[in-house]
Amino acid sequence: MLARLQQILTRLETLLAGFCIVLLLGLTLGQILARNFFDTGIPAADTLSRLLLLYITFLGAALAICSDRHIKVDVIAHWIPQTWRDRLYRPLFSVGAAVCLLYTIAAVRFWRDSWEFAAEHERWQVLLDLGLPVGFGLLTMHFLCCVMCGPHRRPEITCTTC
Amino acid sequence: MLAALIPVLVLLAVLGLPLFVVLAAGALIATRADGLDPAILIIELNRISSSPNLIAIPLFTFAGVILSQGGSPQRLIRFFNAFLGWLPGGLGSVALSVCAFFTAFSGASGVTILALGGMLYPMLRQAGYGELFTCGLLTSSGSLGILFAPSLAVLVYGIVASVNIDELFLAGVLPGLILLFMLYAYSFYSGRRFHLPHHPFEWSNIWPAFRGSVLDLLLPFGIIVGIFGGFVTVGEVSACTAAYVLFLEVAVYRTIDLRRQFISLVNETAILVGSLLIILGIAMGLTNLLIDAQIPMRLLSWVESNVDDQLQFLLLLNVFLLMVGAMMDIFSAIIVVTPLILPIALHFGIDPVHLGIIILANLEIGYTTPPVGINLFIASQRFTKPVMTLFRASLPFLTIMLVWLLVVTYLPWTSLWWR
Repeated sequence: MLARLQQILTRLETLLAGFCIVLLLGLTLGQILARNFFDTGIPAADTLSRLLLLYITFLGAALAICSDRHIKVDVIAHWIPQTWRDRLYRPLFSVGAAVCLLYTIAAVRFWRDSWEFAAEHERWQVLLDLGLPVGFGLLTMHFLCCVMCGPHRRPEITCTTC
Repeated sequence: MLAALIPVLVLLAVLGLPLFVVLAAGALIATRADGLDPAILIIELNRISSSPNLIAIPLFTFAGVILSQGGSPQRLIRFFNAFLGWLPGGLGSVALSVCAFFTAFSGASGVTILALGGMLYPMLRQAGYGELFTCGLLTSSGSLGILFAPSLAVLVYGIVASVNIDELFLAGVLPGLILLFMLYAYSFYSGRRFHLPHHPFEWSNIWPAFRGSVLDLLLPFGIIVGIFGGFVTVGEVSACTAAYVLFLEVAVYRTIDLRRQFISLVNETAILVGSLLIILGIAMGLTNLLIDAQIPMRLLSWVESNVDDQLQFLLLLNVFLLMVGAMMDIFSAIIVVTPLILPIALHFGIDPVHLGIIILANLEIGYTTPPVGINLFIASQRFTKPVMTLFRASLPFLTIMLVWLLVVTYLPWTSLWWR
């Protein structure tokens, strides 16, 4: 059940990340065309690019948790047997969940303050900044799912080059 | 109590805890120790995304992923084989050229060995190249084009050190070419020594090979002309590259079926970008805390009292960075180490652009050095050979790379000739 939920979530995140990448590509190309051919720019393109970048980062980081492809300094991990690596999986991912949960709380407070002090015309930007707490929340959830599912239950969407 | 948590974090890091979690935990401990609100870490993370060059990372990564999943590797092998395959040890030079070209786009994330190793290994073996030579060549070639535009490693250093990325791209050209020619020379020497067969030069092969890959070969030229001609910024050129590569593989060569492969393409891009940028964002908060705690200044005063001149500092820097490169992934090493080294290097009169090339050159060598040289592990999976066998096979190449490192470090004009 939990593995199925994680698989659906992973598929949704991949689609959303794809949408953000395509939108970022379109927005940047649109900016080049607008500047060179129409001597103008796309309104709020910089803000949107910044937000899309943030979304891609969090969605990608969440996907990297599922496929256990985050960058590590695994000096020892490469040399220890697979059975021991599997035993370490749950404790390590629990630490990940705890740390991300603390960041989620900090991000929620940061967002609440931003909302409170934002001018009326800037509120839409702050609303889109919800990506920060939601992003850390996603990371926490993925770590927790991995802790509960264990090391051998990974979602099926993985890269084709690995 | 809080200080006691640091060794625990180091232990968890070496056991395989994702680096971003280690840095995030470290930053939380530091804010707690200083009595600060952890929300400042979120502010820093939010701030990093406003860097104008940062959008180049997902878009160049997207281009690299499309190239690796499309037909570009085969086309490039055919082209370089027609041009260089007739030389003694020519096929070795072909492998070096294709890997360098491909790594510049794929960002040295191991994709080069995965995408090209499977094609080049049987080619080299069938041509009579020894197993050890072939493994060593392909393992050490996995990070060869790291200094060439539009390498992600160069972009990350430019963003972290606040150095002009255009200048870094320019600075990497000569050192990158020097290494390539040193390795060509070794391949040539091996070809002569072991009497390796090579096909005769034929003009009739050149034109079809060139025609088949000319659109791929235009890419680096387009990037260089776009940036240095002042037509587009680094971020914009990354969008042009991604759009061009997508058009090439989907519409021109039809090697990618978007309906079937879109999910796989964006999944791979998002994972590569997410795992890198989350570290960058969190490390920025931690770096600011380290600066507030005057850690780089303390490090500087320690170095000042123990190191007399620039030469001595550069020697120590090389030893330190080679150790870091042997233990850390290149991107995390750049993000963690650069803010600590930069003020010290400036104190000793080292140009930040030259410093970038030194750091990247050291970390490039670290890719093939135990205990965690990532190329060794990827090649071990790809060629089903033990890691230590691959390390032994890579030793002649590593020796050449170390000589090159000395040239790049102690002759700054190799990086700064254009000034």
